[in-house]
Amino acid sequence: MVRWQRGLWLFCLPSFGLLTIVLLWPLAYAIYLSFFDYYLGSDVRTFVGLGNYIDLLSETRLWNSMWTTIVIAFGSVALEFVVGFALALALYGNRIGTKAFSTLLFLPHIITPVVATLFLKWMLASNWGLVDATLLTIGIEPPDWLGNPLWAKISVILADAWIFTPLIMIVLYAALQGLNNSLLEAARIDGASNWRILRHVVIPALIPAIIFTISVRLMDVFRFFDTIYVLTGGGPGTATETVTMYTYQLGFRMLQVGKASALGVITLVIVAVLLLTINRMLTRIYRKGDQ
Amino acid sequence: MKTSRIWTLGASAALLAATLATPALSQETIRIIGHRSPPNEYYTGAMQKALPEGRVSVELMPIDKEMELASITMSSKSDAIDVLYLTDSSLKRFAANGWLEPLDDLWAKYKEEYKLDDFPPAIMEAVSYDGHIYSMPVLTNTELFFYRKDLFDEAGIAAPKTMDDYQNAAAKLDSGRMSGTIMSLKPVDAALNETHWYLNAVGDGWFDENWRPIFNQEAGVKAITRMKEMSEFAPRGFTSHANDESTINLQQGLAAMGLQWFTRAASMDDPQKSRVVGKIDWVAPPGGGARVANDGFAISAFSSGDKEEMFRMLAEASSVDSMIKGAEFSMPPRLSVLQNEELSEKYRWYPAARAALEDGKPFPALPDFNDVGDIVTRHVLRAVTGEVEVKAALDQAAKETEELLASRGYYKN
Repeated sequence: MVRWQRGLWLFCLPSFGLLTIVLLWPLAYAIYLSFFDYYLGSDVRTFVGLGNYIDLLSETRLWNSMWTTIVIAFGSVALEFVVGFALALALYGNRIGTKAFSTLLFLPHIITPVVATLFLKWMLASNWGLVDATLLTIGIEPPDWLGNPLWAKISVILADAWIFTPLIMIVLYAALQGLNNSLLEAARIDGASNWRILRHVVIPALIPAIIFTISVRLMDVFRFFDTIYVLTGGGPGTATETVTMYTYQLGFRMLQVGKASALGVITLVIVAVLLLTINRMLTRIYRKGDQ
Repeated sequence: MKTSRIWTLGASAALLAATLATPALSQETIRIIGHRSPPNEYYTGAMQKALPEGRVSVELMPIDKEMELASITMSSKSDAIDVLYLTDSSLKRFAANGWLEPLDDLWAKYKEEYKLDDFPPAIMEAVSYDGHIYSMPVLTNTELFFYRKDLFDEAGIAAPKTMDDYQNAAAKLDSGRMSGTIMSLKPVDAALNETHWYLNAVGDGWFDENWRPIFNQEAGVKAITRMKEMSEFAPRGFTSHANDESTINLQQGLAAMGLQWFTRAASMDDPQKSRVVGKIDWVAPPGGGARVANDGFAISAFSSGDKEEMFRMLAEASSVDSMIKGAEFSMPPRLSVLQNEELSEKYRWYPAARAALEDGKPFPALPDFNDVGDIVTRHVLRAVTGEVEVKAALDQAAKETEELLASRGYYKN
C-alpha cells in the first residue's frame, strides 16, 4: 500500500458520521428504550430488562402479525414478479410503441404510494366505488373487498402489486436488453420451443437481475406500512395487521414506546435472518445454474 | 472601503435580526387542530373570526389522526399545537397526563363577560378532570337513530323502540342494493361508538365499579352476538365504514336505517348532497345507551402563545349568538340556547336528540378508555367477521384490558 492510500479512510468519515446520526443513533436508542417500561403519557421509565421481549414473544398477536406479514410479503412479491416478468417479456418482444406502453405501465409507480392507495380505496368502496359500481351495473355481485378478512388480504396484495409491478417490469426489461441475441438465435435454429428458450436461455441469463429485484422487494415489503395503513388500517379485526402495523399501534396509538421499540428490534432480527436465508438460497440456485 | 465595510456589517446585522425575529413572529399564529366535522368547521371558523385575519391557523382531520398528532406532540412537550379539539374521553387522558392548561382562573375571570354560568353542571363535569376545568365546551353530541320514514310507512312498520324491533325492521327492509342498516365499524372511534351502544342496549356495559371488565360476561356476549347478526343487513365494507361512509349510504338511499350522530342530521335534508330530502326521520336509539359526548376545545399546557388571548377566542366562538347559529350542526351545550323554542321548530331532529340525551350514556370516565377501546374494538371486529368465536374474542379483549389497566395502576390489590 502506498503512503497516500493510508489516509483514504478519512474520506469515509462524512458518510459514517451521517449514518451514525440518522441510522445508528436511533437504532441504539431504540435498543436502549426496549429495556424499559415506558409509557409516553408518564415521565417515568422503569427498567424491565428483557421483560418487553418476553411479553411480546409470548403474545399470539405478534405471531399472527408475523404470519400475516409473511403471507402478504410473499403473495405480493410472487404476483409482482410473475406479472412484471410477463410484461417485460411482452415489451421485449413487441418493438412497436414500447416507450409509450412502458411509460403508461410505469405510472402507478410514479405516484406516491399513499395517494395511489387512496385512489384504490375509493375505487374499492362498496356500492359507489368505481370497481364495485361497474360490477354491480353488469349484474355481478362484487366481494367485500376491504371488509372480509380474506378479501382484505387479497386487496392489500393487489394494491402493492399495482404499485410495484412496474418497478420489476422495468428492471427485468433493462436486463433483457443485455441478453445476447446470438444465444436466442442458436436456440431457435436448434428447434427449441419458446417455452424451452425462456426456461433454458432467458431465465438463466436474467438470474442476477431476478435475485436483485426479489431481494429488494422482499426487504421493502417486510417494512410495508403506508398501503395497509390507508387501505385497511390493519383490519378488519387483525386480518391485515402486519408487524409494522402492530409496532405502529403500540407506539403511536397505545404510546407504549418501550414495547414498540422491543418489537422493532425483534422485527429487525427476524427479517434479517429471513432475508439472509432467501438471499443465500437464490444465490445457490444461481451458482447451480452456472455449473 | 471603510464605508462599504460599514454597509456590509449593517446589512449582516439586519439580516441576523430579521432571522432571529422570524420565529417570534411566526409563534404569534395560534395553531388549532381538530376533527373534521360540520360543527367543528363552524366553530373553528368562528375562532378565526374572533381574531384578526391570519392570526389563527386551523387544521381539521379525521379524529384518529388528530389524536395521534396531538399525543405525539404533547408527549414530546412541543409547543407546535396551541388549541386542540378533544372529546370527553380523550380530555380525561390528556388532562391526567398533564398536557392541558387548567382554565379555572380564566374561567372565573371571564365568567360574567361571556356568561359562562350558562353551561349546565353535567357539561362542566364532562370538560373537567380532578376538579379542574380543561376545555371550553362547544358541542353536545348524541347519536340518533336515523330511519327512512317513507319505507317504514310503506312496509307498515313503526319506528323501532327495542333492539328486537330494530333487527326485524332491518331484516324486512334489506333487499338488493338497499341495505337493512348502516353499520360503522371502522376502528377505532366509529367501531367503539357502535360497540358502546350494543354493550349498553343489550349488555350490561363495560366495567364493574372496580374497573374490572364485564363486557365478556353473558350479557356482553349476547350484545356482540346481536351485533354480528345485524351485520348480515349491513352494506358490504361496513368494517371499514366510519361516519362519512355511513352518512353517504343514508343520503344516497343505499341503507334504510341505523345509528349516526346528531351532527349528520342536517345533511340528510341538504338537496345538494342527499337523495332522501324529507324522507329521513329520527328517534332515540332503540334500547338506549348510545353515546352522548360533550366535546370542546382545550389549550395545550406547552403552548408558548398568549393563553388568555386563546381563552377569549374560545369564549367568543362559544358565545350565545355563535351557538344559536351553530345549532344547525350540533346540540349547543348552553342552557339558554338548548331551551330556545325556535330551534326545535326549525330543526326537526331536535325532539329525537332530547330523547336520546335522556337515555344515552357517555363513555366510561377513565383516562385510558381510548386505549381500552383500541383493544376491545379489535377483538369485536374479529368476532363480527367470524375470525374467532364471540366469547373467545371478548375473553381475550378482557384479559388484555385488565393487563393494560393493571400496568397503569388501576388495581391496587
